[in-house]
Amino acid sequence: MERRVPVIQRTPQILLLVTMLLSAESSWADREVVLVTSRDSAVESLSTLDIRKAYLGIAVLVGGEPVRAIRRRDDKQLNEIFLQSVMAMSLKSYERRILSLALKYGTPRPDQVDDAAALVGLLESSSRGIGYMWRTDAEGEDRVRIIGVLWRGR
Amino acid sequence: MTRSPHNPEYAGARTRPLFVVLLAGLLSLSVPAHADSEQDFLFFPSIEGFERFSDSDPANDGFEDHVMADFLYTLNSDRFRLLAEYFWSNKESELERLQAAWLISDETTIWAGRFHSISNYWASEFHHGVYLQTTISRPGLDEWEDNSGPMPSHITGLQLDQLFELQDGAGLKFGLVAGVAPTFAGEELVPFDMLDSNSGNESAFEARLIYQPQMLSGSQIGLSAARNEIAVDSSSSPDLADLDNIRQVTVGVFIDWEWAKWHLLTNWVYFDIDMDYVDARIKDDFVLAYVQAEFDASDKWTLFARSEFGFDEDDSPYLRLLPAFVAHRHMLGARWDFADSQALTAEIADTSTQGDDFTHDSFKELRLQWSAVFP
Repeated sequence: MERRVPVIQRTPQILLLVTMLLSAESSWADREVVLVTSRDSAVESLSTLDIRKAYLGIAVLVGGEPVRAIRRRDDKQLNEIFLQSVMAMSLKSYERRILSLALKYGTPRPDQVDDAAALVGLLESSSRGIGYMWRTDAEGEDRVRIIGVLWRGR
Repeated sequence: MTRSPHNPEYAGARTRPLFVVLLAGLLSLSVPAHADSEQDFLFFPSIEGFERFSDSDPANDGFEDHVMADFLYTLNSDRFRLLAEYFWSNKESELERLQAAWLISDETTIWAGRFHSISNYWASEFHHGVYLQTTISRPGLDEWEDNSGPMPSHITGLQLDQLFELQDGAGLKFGLVAGVAPTFAGEELVPFDMLDSNSGNESAFEARLIYQPQMLSGSQIGLSAARNEIAVDSSSSPDLADLDNIRQVTVGVFIDWEWAKWHLLTNWVYFDIDMDYVDARIKDDFVLAYVQAEFDASDKWTLFARSEFGFDEDDSPYLRLLPAFVAHRHMLGARWDFADSQALTAEIADTSTQGDDFTHDSFKELRLQWSAVFP
């Protein structure tokens, strides 16, 4: 014979599940991808077109010097959001585009790093370096400065 | 004997690695030292197997392999740019490009050196970066000179690139080239040899206009025009005995467009040719074209097809000088991208080359290829 669990006995589990779902929804909604530079950088802000140019290796000058764009390779979700929302390209299209520009015109490809710490290190060594991070990571790192919001969670 | 595009007997014997190393060394010394100079290196290796099943002459059946490596070196320093491309294969090796640029402004660049012709769409778009072209084979129209390409793919001289930024992110690119054209020897065009300045080459002029609806994307539509004076080495073949000079004028239109998962690539070129024989001038004109469609079935898989054809090309006196020229090809294929930057590609094709007389040599092709790019 099937034993039915009274609803009143399952209430704590249901409440826990609802709380977890609301919490997850809340953290997803709070997530943002931001454009960062080093604290002492000369870069104050960049238009979306300039960010796209910089990440294709095309010269974008700030104070007469080129901006140095730095890619992240380690965080798949972060990369997908950046490429879709800023570059308007898939990873495959983006890779082909920067290879094609390098092959055709000798256009320099953006630097690549494997983690956030390497990004911060590279930003510190360049007065015009830019990179992208989760806002939560950027806010926890006092060596970088947020200069724009690239994507905001729904 | 029917010539194969991959026959080593016909491949250019231009193996001068020592010269290239010395020249690159001298150029790198001449580059002004600058703290912000950037260097980059790309390596495009590929291995290709090619099986041919002849319809007209079983003696032409057979398997060939092609191992290739393309090395690209670039140096960027302030307003200076150096680009060197060296191609090696088990059939030939050659300094493909050696060009230096002065970036006059963000919109204007002047190049000097040896570069790929801007009126040869495939050469100027993919160069020898096999991994970047979805297909294994190149269209006959855009083939390299030593693979019986009908128009120049290497020019030595000056090139001006001018960019005009339009509204809403669109752009116009204008290119102008003045340089030295190939000569015609044996059964192929032969590019200018920088080590032999007395090789009798004549002039080449090219222009190209490209419109991009989004300047930073790959989609583009363009017009090209070229005028090449091609000196003929009359002693190199009995077919060229009384031929002094070939004047080749081309006008082309190309579209390279991406819509979601589809990619269309087509190029149509009208040839107007004067062949100056000792006692007469023969006029020739024809159109060569191809249409290639690609479909991204997934992130990893791409399906593609290409048809190559022409108008009035079958009895062209000029193309009869290029018996291995691929006049017609109807091809299907698939490509699998894996491991970041590697791809396996397969193609089947129904092909015919121009042939020695008025009859084409027809055959079926099966090609398999591994290609990659590092780093």
